[in-house]
Amino acid sequence: MSGKIFVAHDALSGLLDDLSKKFKVWIPQMMDQASGHIAFGVYAPGKKPELTRRSRLSPKKILFPSMDTLFKFTYVKDPKDPVRYTIDLKESFDNGPTLVFGARPCDTRGFQTFDQVFLKGQYKDVYYERRRQNTLFATLVCQDSDTACFCSSVGSGPADMTGSDMAVIPIEGGYVIEGLTDAGRKLVETSGSAPSPEQAAAAEQMKRNTAALKIGEDDLTGYADDLTRRFTDMDFWREQVSPCITCGVCTWVCPTCYCFSITDEASGMSGERMRSWDSCMFYLYTLEARGHNPRPTKMERYRNRVGHKFSYFPKKYDGMVSCCGCGRCIRTCPVSIDIRKVVKELKETADDRA
Amino acid sequence: MTELNPYRPEMATVIEIVEETHNIRTLRVLLNDPEKMKAFSFQPGQVGQLSVFGYGESTFVINSPPTRRDYLQFSIMQAGEVAGRLHQLNVGDQIGVRAPLGNYFPYENMKGRDILFVGGGIAMAPLRTLLLFMLDNRKDYGDITLIYGARTPNDFCYTYEFDDWKKAGASLILTVDNEAPDWPHRVGVVPKVLAEEAPNPKNRIAVTCGPPIMIKFALAALKQLGYADEQIYTTLEKRMKCGIGICGRCNIGEKYVCIDGPVFSCAQLSAMLPEL
Amino acid sequence: MDDKTNALREHVKGIFSNLELVLGWEPGYDPLHTRPFYVRTESDIDRLTANCLSFQNLTRYLAKSMNAVDPAADGRKIGVCVKGCDSRSLVALIQEKFVSRDRVYVIGLPCRGTLDARRIRALVPDPARIRSVNAEGDELVVETDRGISRFALDRAIARKCLQCRYPNPVIHDVLIGDPVTPRLKIDAENPSVAAVEALSLEDRLLFWENQLDRCIRCFACRNACPLCVCQNHCIMETRMPKWITQYRNMNEKFMFHMIHALHLAGRCTECGECERVCPVGIPVALIKEKINAIIYEMLDYESGIDPEAVPPLLTFSPKETGI
Repeated sequence: MSGKIFVAHDALSGLLDDLSKKFKVWIPQMMDQASGHIAFGVYAPGKKPELTRRSRLSPKKILFPSMDTLFKFTYVKDPKDPVRYTIDLKESFDNGPTLVFGARPCDTRGFQTFDQVFLKGQYKDVYYERRRQNTLFATLVCQDSDTACFCSSVGSGPADMTGSDMAVIPIEGGYVIEGLTDAGRKLVETSGSAPSPEQAAAAEQMKRNTAALKIGEDDLTGYADDLTRRFTDMDFWREQVSPCITCGVCTWVCPTCYCFSITDEASGMSGERMRSWDSCMFYLYTLEARGHNPRPTKMERYRNRVGHKFSYFPKKYDGMVSCCGCGRCIRTCPVSIDIRKVVKELKETADDRA
Repeated sequence: MTELNPYRPEMATVIEIVEETHNIRTLRVLLNDPEKMKAFSFQPGQVGQLSVFGYGESTFVINSPPTRRDYLQFSIMQAGEVAGRLHQLNVGDQIGVRAPLGNYFPYENMKGRDILFVGGGIAMAPLRTLLLFMLDNRKDYGDITLIYGARTPNDFCYTYEFDDWKKAGASLILTVDNEAPDWPHRVGVVPKVLAEEAPNPKNRIAVTCGPPIMIKFALAALKQLGYADEQIYTTLEKRMKCGIGICGRCNIGEKYVCIDGPVFSCAQLSAMLPEL
Repeated sequence: MDDKTNALREHVKGIFSNLELVLGWEPGYDPLHTRPFYVRTESDIDRLTANCLSFQNLTRYLAKSMNAVDPAADGRKIGVCVKGCDSRSLVALIQEKFVSRDRVYVIGLPCRGTLDARRIRALVPDPARIRSVNAEGDELVVETDRGISRFALDRAIARKCLQCRYPNPVIHDVLIGDPVTPRLKIDAENPSVAAVEALSLEDRLLFWENQLDRCIRCFACRNACPLCVCQNHCIMETRMPKWITQYRNMNEKFMFHMIHALHLAGRCTECGECERVCPVGIPVALIKEKINAIIYEMLDYESGIDPEAVPPLLTFSPKETGI
């Protein structure tokens, strides 16, 4: 077997129906026609994957839900001595076999950042790890970039299959799906029939053409020291960030923003400890109990966001920028702040800008 | 797998409570599993995350030294949701403990040196760990001096232990911010008293903890006295959640206070981005 | 808004020496986007734009990002560009003493409507790289790398603009351009509210459940709102007091949007920023519009019209009728 299959457009639903018997399959889908809102949702027969327009929200919630129970706790009273009690802890893991179908290369690559932090550090995040191990990615070779896209600027590209188990390659009449990892190949080979030689050739051609595209004008890697140099130049940060309304949308839509909060929610004798997405753009994110805040204004907070992605992360992880170039922060920013511009101008001197 | 879950706290019981001041109390706790309590191993300066289930988790330094294993001790100032709740607990109550976390004071490098502790308010907590550890290994260290300041005479912690500390070979210099009736010791903020005392930097290590404003001026005073950056250690505090280098908020540049700290030398601090 | 870029620049050049800065707009990262711009120096003036892409309500910065109450030491004012809807927010901020009238120099821009970038993306067959966006009379012409599309302007402008009753700034020190005719009479029924109200109770619940289900609790609607002034003390985030949990369920989302809307009762000026900034496209302004309709009916009050008026829910009179 070649590890490839061809799926005609009208056979895609059938394939997803089959896959959804074995996996929880996530696909990009139209959530609201009126506002054109596309996001990842669980496939059910009858739902159509939206493969020609980009999703507004990234698939990060699939491995990193916006709210995730770490464990449940219950205060258990001692029947003999009602003042005494013990606490019963039950961890909960939610990690059935999962398939993400139709994410873009930037979406899938976003999890590379998570892998570094959640799996390769001093402590391992078992919740993320379990989901990660049970999830396969069938990633779409991306044909339609827009003005906010810049994947090539961060060392990736529209045909970058880093982190993908299968490539979904659009060709005339349907898709060629190619297994890239052992698990991906195994799944592909049991899911359909091989493409004709012409179809296989068309897919190869499509991959090559797409890989040759350069999405994003500038190289935005290698700015780690420029950020350091610019760190205390508050005029620079003021100019970049004045329009910012600190809403944090950039962090919510970002495939690589992984910061979270941990809180308890309880009612009566029981409750749960959960983690939920948090945003470095918020004042309360770093506010200390006794009132001190190391990042009191939006300048320090935005500086941290840019710094984290383009300076701190590469310094810690061997040059790797923690930005996948999907452009969502640019696209959804209510005031059109463009992170590409901010990073680029880190290098410029005050004279260049004037 | 469960055993390796770094978010899962160990259950512990509060066995003793000491009301230190009007807003600081000390909890002494024992892990419920005697085997784990016996095996519990940590270094002076490391911290723990204390949980009150239903309220959340917060970070506190383990302020009993590794040399004293009858219980684990934490001093807590009333500030915030979790600390507020910890102040309402009674003996016998159950809490969660995730510890030890973070780095520790490099006491090996301090052997054979004179030691100067400079502390203010609740920040005496981490200093107490190292102080007792050194007093328990008294022969390893030279002169041990503590300059300890508080707002008023009623704001000192561990007053009931001062005599023991002196007996074990530490010199204590106490100071309050303003004149107070019947106060026999020094008056003036810590950095001022530090400048007046002017402990010789030769072969001495200074360890200072306190509120940000005190640290700022204490570091300046130490440098004035001729202490090199490598001779000064301090601990940093940041808002923390996970405590294990994942959740993201306690960073200063690429350093995370939760795993790279909380102990930093002044030399390390000056190489970091200025975002305290 | 018709293109007023040149007239605006000319005007600002003439008065800039008397101003500390001017809040305006500049082109964004592509022809469909615009960003708020702080004109701080003379040379910045030529970056200003004012056209159908001048979406953002700049009065938001007066209350939340700067001190617009106390006079500057040198007596210079803050210049601020406002559309009709924005000017009403400014009036509300003046009423509530977040902005002092003497502190601001108000540049009024009559407006026939601003574009809705999202609608345009949906209208253009393949929303790829947009090269230019131009309003030509009642038609919008969008050029992308895959061709040119033309459609009626009304299909591309924001929902709030289709039902605009105050296209002309109600407060201004200078007006740039001629006043335009309002689309709706002041006492006309709000068509969007009427459409939702026409649904049966069950369908209305379903409508809102479907909409709010998408909410990701990002708080963009709150942060963009010029009148959401609790800033870092918003009960959505604080744990002390703790009114709302971290759960992302319908109860909590509903609670948030209701609190947001109720805090704006009799204050919201329908600038539509909450709805425009929503990353998941929830028509959140509708809730506030409904409450405004109630306030108008019960208390005969419209927010953001008269700087001297006291918003009815910020005061109490034993003689109040209609309650």
